Amino acid sequence: MSDNREISIWFFCGILMLAYGAVLVLTGLFELHNPPPTVLAELHPTLWWGVLLSVLGGFYTIRFRPGKA
Amino acid sequence: MQFSPLLLLFAGKQLTTLSGVDILILVLYFALVVFIGFYAKGKANTSEDFFLAGREMTAWIAGLSFVSANLGSLELMGWAGSAYQYGILAAHWYWIGAIPAMLFLGIVMMPFYYISKTHSVPGYLHLRFGNGARAVSAISFGLMTILMSGVNMYAMAVVMQTILGWNITFSIWVGAGTVALYVMLGGLRSAIINEVLQFVLIWAGAAMIPILGLIEAGSWSNLKKQIAINVGNGDYTHMWRTLGHFSSNPMGVHWTGIVFGLGFVISFGYWTTDFLVVQRVLSANNLRAAKLAPIIGAAFKMAVPLIVIVPGLLALAVLKNPDGSVMHLVASNIAKGNPGMHTYDEVLPLMLIRYCGPGLLGMGITALVAGFMSGMAGNVSAFSTVWTYDIYGAYLNKKASDSHYVAMGRWSTVIGMLISIMTAYLVMNANSIMDYVQALFSFFVAPLFGTVILGMLWKRATKAGGFWGLLAGTASSIGMFVWVQTTPSALRYIAMSPDAKPMAENLYRALWSWLICVIVTVAVSLVTRATPEAELANLVYGVTPLPDDGSKTLWEKPLFWAVVVITVFFILNLIFF
Repeated sequence: MSDNREISIWFFCGILMLAYGAVLVLTGLFELHNPPPTVLAELHPTLWWGVLLSVLGGFYTIRFRPGKA
Repeated sequence: MQFSPLLLLFAGKQLTTLSGVDILILVLYFALVVFIGFYAKGKANTSEDFFLAGREMTAWIAGLSFVSANLGSLELMGWAGSAYQYGILAAHWYWIGAIPAMLFLGIVMMPFYYISKTHSVPGYLHLRFGNGARAVSAISFGLMTILMSGVNMYAMAVVMQTILGWNITFSIWVGAGTVALYVMLGGLRSAIINEVLQFVLIWAGAAMIPILGLIEAGSWSNLKKQIAINVGNGDYTHMWRTLGHFSSNPMGVHWTGIVFGLGFVISFGYWTTDFLVVQRVLSANNLRAAKLAPIIGAAFKMAVPLIVIVPGLLALAVLKNPDGSVMHLVASNIAKGNPGMHTYDEVLPLMLIRYCGPGLLGMGITALVAGFMSGMAGNVSAFSTVWTYDIYGAYLNKKASDSHYVAMGRWSTVIGMLISIMTAYLVMNANSIMDYVQALFSFFVAPLFGTVILGMLWKRATKAGGFWGLLAGTASSIGMFVWVQTTPSALRYIAMSPDAKPMAENLYRALWSWLICVIVTVAVSLVTRATPEAELANLVYGVTPLPDDGSKTLWEKPLFWAVVVITVFFILNLIFF
């Protein structure tokens, strides 16, 4: 998978994590005022996990984007 | 958050329901998986491309795929349930039951697999021991992969029914159809991309459980204290100090069974000769990558108990009934007919629901689905390779064109999946998925390890010795299994103790079948004519000059990283002794 014309596996991982991170961040923001009935919901795990996935996913998406030399 | 009308179609007894955002996460995963299948199709034109991903994977990709191919549904669900049932002893299946064998594969065995240019493990047996050993290995492996794929499929369907109330047939056909599509289109390359994706997804979806669980428990020390209070003894958090006698630990095993049965025979058999995982390493782009891939896989494998074993232990401490009393999970035969009870295998979903609201729940469910589908894909892609190269190409049609074999690979993927679906329906009546899998492992994998390791390390082993040893080992394993199934008291003879429990039987049956294989191979080899050394070049230690793997600095040497990993392995075992 080293050919530059190919889509890197890491790009696939990055784009999926970025998409999931965005979904979780939006859901987490919504849950700030409507917390789910789960244990430790007051720690806002959805929001923080979404931020982490967005950062990691964004890094891999940019770093391994198709066409990047 | 609104519930999807689609899910109302599958309404029934269930643990939870998915919200719209959870369904969006699931749909995104399926869309990407199918896209990858079509993307990889353009790069799967030759048999080398289709069955070995063009042998162009880096060490990291081959390594993650190697460990991910084993991280299917049975891993996640079954071992989390086993951790609840047996405590931290279940982590042995991740550490001593994997790490030494993975390192041995990378450092000792991979050079022979790689430089022999074999396309499969049965292919290596053909080069070393001739057609007979290959036939036994290929047929038993094909059977095992199809059964395993069916077990994965069934497990996924049961989980989806238990958690979400989905119809079993719906889950089986959607899962099987998706996997068949992307493996048929892209072959091993498609399966490998999806396995790496699945590995990332499993961590993204399941890591919140131990993180939030340990926050709720307060600390690891508090968790151990709470488990000791809830269970009534402190044995559940020690890996070795309770293994002095069969009756002194929850699993009913002895340290000899763990070290020799699991740590040596089952583990080495599975990780070094099961083509499902070895195939991933054979896709590496050079010898150094092929040696490093299992070592990278071992490093990640050591971390997996965090998302599998820890949730099971946390459940012992924090799971409560609605009235605040401690929740006790039970075996599936007890839960059947008691709607208020949950089984051991439900521990991971229960913990997921405890901590994960909309969004995170979707991530967790998607991780489980990805794990199930990866398990199916791994089995069906390995089946397709062995069928095409080692059965069809070896015995039925030896002189077909390369494009014909690629077409056969695609067709055998679809047909293999259909047989798996039939298997899934057949195993619906099996009480314990894990017992079933353990039985399969020791039927075929333990004796195969005996044959392969003698073939690689002992040049005096002959073709007749390899064939008869493999046959005797496999037959004896099946024979012992049937003996215990029909006469349960036979367990005391197999495990050498009246206190042994079923898990011990699996370990000792593997050990005996391996020993029988080795003894028969050695005995038959010594009375048959030795193979000329010229025929053993590139196949056997001692007559093969090992090529340089290209490592220059210490940091590039696979052996250095193997030492690092094994050191961490010993430290972890001492910490949790």
